[in-house]
Amino acid sequence: MNPQALRIKSINYQEESSVNHQELIEKIAFNVIQGRLEAEDEGFDAGLEGQPAVTELMQQALEQGVDPKDIVIGALTRSMEMVGEKFERNEYLIPDMLASAECVGAAMEMLAPHLMKAGIKSKGKFIIATVAGDLHDIGKNIVAIMLKGAGYEVIDLGTDVSVDRILEAVREHQAPYVGLSALLTTTMRVMGEVVQKLDEQGLRQQVKVLIGGAPTSTEFAQQIGADAYCKDAFQAIDKLKTFKS
Amino acid sequence: MIIIGEKLNATLPAIKEIIQQQDTDRLVALAQQQASAGADFIDINVGTGIGSQADEVQAMQWAVSAIQERLETPLCLDSADPVVLTAGLQAINHGPAMINSTKAEQASLDEIVPLAARYDAWLVALTMDEAGIPKTVEDRLQAAAKIMEAIDQHGVPRPHLFFDPLVMPISTDISYGLVTLNTVSALKEKYPEAKTVLGLSNISFGLPARPRINAAFMHMCLYSGLDAAIIDPLDDILMAAVTTGEVLVGRDRRCRRYLRAFRS
Repeated sequence: MNPQALRIKSINYQEESSVNHQELIEKIAFNVIQGRLEAEDEGFDAGLEGQPAVTELMQQALEQGVDPKDIVIGALTRSMEMVGEKFERNEYLIPDMLASAECVGAAMEMLAPHLMKAGIKSKGKFIIATVAGDLHDIGKNIVAIMLKGAGYEVIDLGTDVSVDRILEAVREHQAPYVGLSALLTTTMRVMGEVVQKLDEQGLRQQVKVLIGGAPTSTEFAQQIGADAYCKDAFQAIDKLKTFKS
Repeated sequence: MIIIGEKLNATLPAIKEIIQQQDTDRLVALAQQQASAGADFIDINVGTGIGSQADEVQAMQWAVSAIQERLETPLCLDSADPVVLTAGLQAINHGPAMINSTKAEQASLDEIVPLAARYDAWLVALTMDEAGIPKTVEDRLQAAAKIMEAIDQHGVPRPHLFFDPLVMPISTDISYGLVTLNTVSALKEKYPEAKTVLGLSNISFGLPARPRINAAFMHMCLYSGLDAAIIDPLDDILMAAVTTGEVLVGRDRRCRRYLRAFRS
């Protein structure tokens, strides 16, 4: 075999491998949108059972050395944005969205050690809590998963979290963002107390406060001095982007 | 099945308006409609989220008096605040009154269970505690045991107790339907004198064609032995499911109610 042929072959091999990478990324994105975690899972569309899903494809991607950053941007972020749009249009309902979010959560977990090795930093720490007196956590958990998928380091304090514990966490982690959730008209007032205490303790300037939950609104956020009201997880991601610029 | 009409709830915008304006005519009309549709109790929740505790106390007294003046149907006072509940209980002139609700949390049990004893009221008790809504049947039963202890201690008759083992939407976790059904069965077996109640429409939150899911779940709840349901009695499909479910599990002797539904 002459050197020329060898060179061509190796170029071809190079191209083939990057095509493979691109194909894998697209397959992962497709399965995130379908909300398929494992090969046996059903997806949004019928007839996908048995085909490799996010877990298998991620394993393959990591084995083949696909750049973790490309996976985050190309496979996870973009697809989750599409899920968000579908949810907005009511094409996707809660179980569809949760299935996709679960895929992103699992993929991020698989990626975490690789991202760390590659020196890729998170977009910042995000403290999240359901405020004192309130035990509702479904919405809060969705937001937490989605923010993880979007590249934030989420610190979930759980439900029924006292004002003091929230402040302590902001201080301890020097977090630039805090998200508060409440589902009751009686507990939403606690959010105001959090903002007030942050102010009193000189922490208000260093942290953006995002709020959400059924009884809250943009007006309520303004009233208590929060930085943003978020209707859902997707809006939270959008609002966070505006803070950064 | 004991039907508790859920429509007078201040978290609904239309009801919030009625309560803020203290619109007696509309309040009573809604209570009347539910009673005519088959409600055995009318639930009253006046927590608008704005205003003080004093406002809520006043609103509860107003609502209870207004409805009791014009309607025989007993009331279910819906609040977690013992002060608001006391105000409502004092305004009641014909019972039985139902208190909705206490949790298996010590503070809640200490304050609310004695109210049920003092006013001879029926009591709804949520099988959840400080840590939230338990994920498993076992943990919900543990919360129930704590409630039962308080009930016995304060001398509330067991048949006046309505365990609410809690309904969470299956759209968020597929195990929620079965956990609730199994908890109802387990409670009926462990405490046969006590009753069970569910706000069962929450099961279908986030899903399309909710009436179908609600009706199917109502059938399953009846099979599990559910005694009471906090529902919208104007929901024809769900009310029909009560009738068809009861006849199937032998709670409608000689199919009387089922047959009557076709004669009317």
